[in-house]
Amino acid sequence: MLVLTRSAKQSIVIGTDVVVTILEVRGDQVRIGISAPRSVSVHREEVFAELEAANKAAASPGAAALRQLDGIRPAAPR
Amino acid sequence: MNGAGLPVMTAPAVEDGEPAPPAVTFGDGLPGFPAARRFSLERWGGDDSPFSVLQSLDDEALRFVVVPPDTFFPDYAPVLDDGDADRLGLAEPEDAIVLVVVSLGERVEDATANLLGPVVVNRHTLAAAQVVLSGQDLPARRRLVNA
Repeated sequence: MLVLTRSAKQSIVIGTDVVVTILEVRGDQVRIGISAPRSVSVHREEVFAELEAANKAAASPGAAALRQLDGIRPAAPR
Repeated sequence: MNGAGLPVMTAPAVEDGEPAPPAVTFGDGLPGFPAARRFSLERWGGDDSPFSVLQSLDDEALRFVVVPPDTFFPDYAPVLDDGDADRLGLAEPEDAIVLVVVSLGERVEDATANLLGPVVVNRHTLAAAQVVLSGQDLPARRRLVNA
């Protein structure tokens, strides 16, 4: 891992078109601005990890699990 | 087009020289499965079943159960950001097929749907992504039964 020291208002450039700027440092929180092309998706790591875990739990149900689907239907509209 | 609003795609046997069957293509893979790019999408079960299966065309063992969210969650109204819409080539909401991934457990009651990360497919190009709806207070595991 590359480790850099930056101060507020300073930036780093990743590749040619992703710029990460330290906006503000207050206590143990840091506000970060990210400028990236729309083709690059940017997420908080913990949200991405939550999706990874949910996908791994959902992946490749076996035959017995798939048979459960016959018993799962939406509730009738009330 | 069928009742659930899903395209029915069957994967015909591919003979030498024939073009590959149409595939739902995740350009970035899925979180946890970055190499999983091409999938078929086929209805699961009888006529009254809302479920479909996304079957990996690259890894025979990999599949996901998906369902159109409005069948179980009529109030679900995901908002895509412009970047995701751009990446998938979506100009209008009608261009998108939205599906949520279903996770099955030991019992029927354990089944959950991932409302945080719906699968969005461009119905014209079949370009797809599992988008992250952060900031909309949506759960990755919402129960399907007694939802």
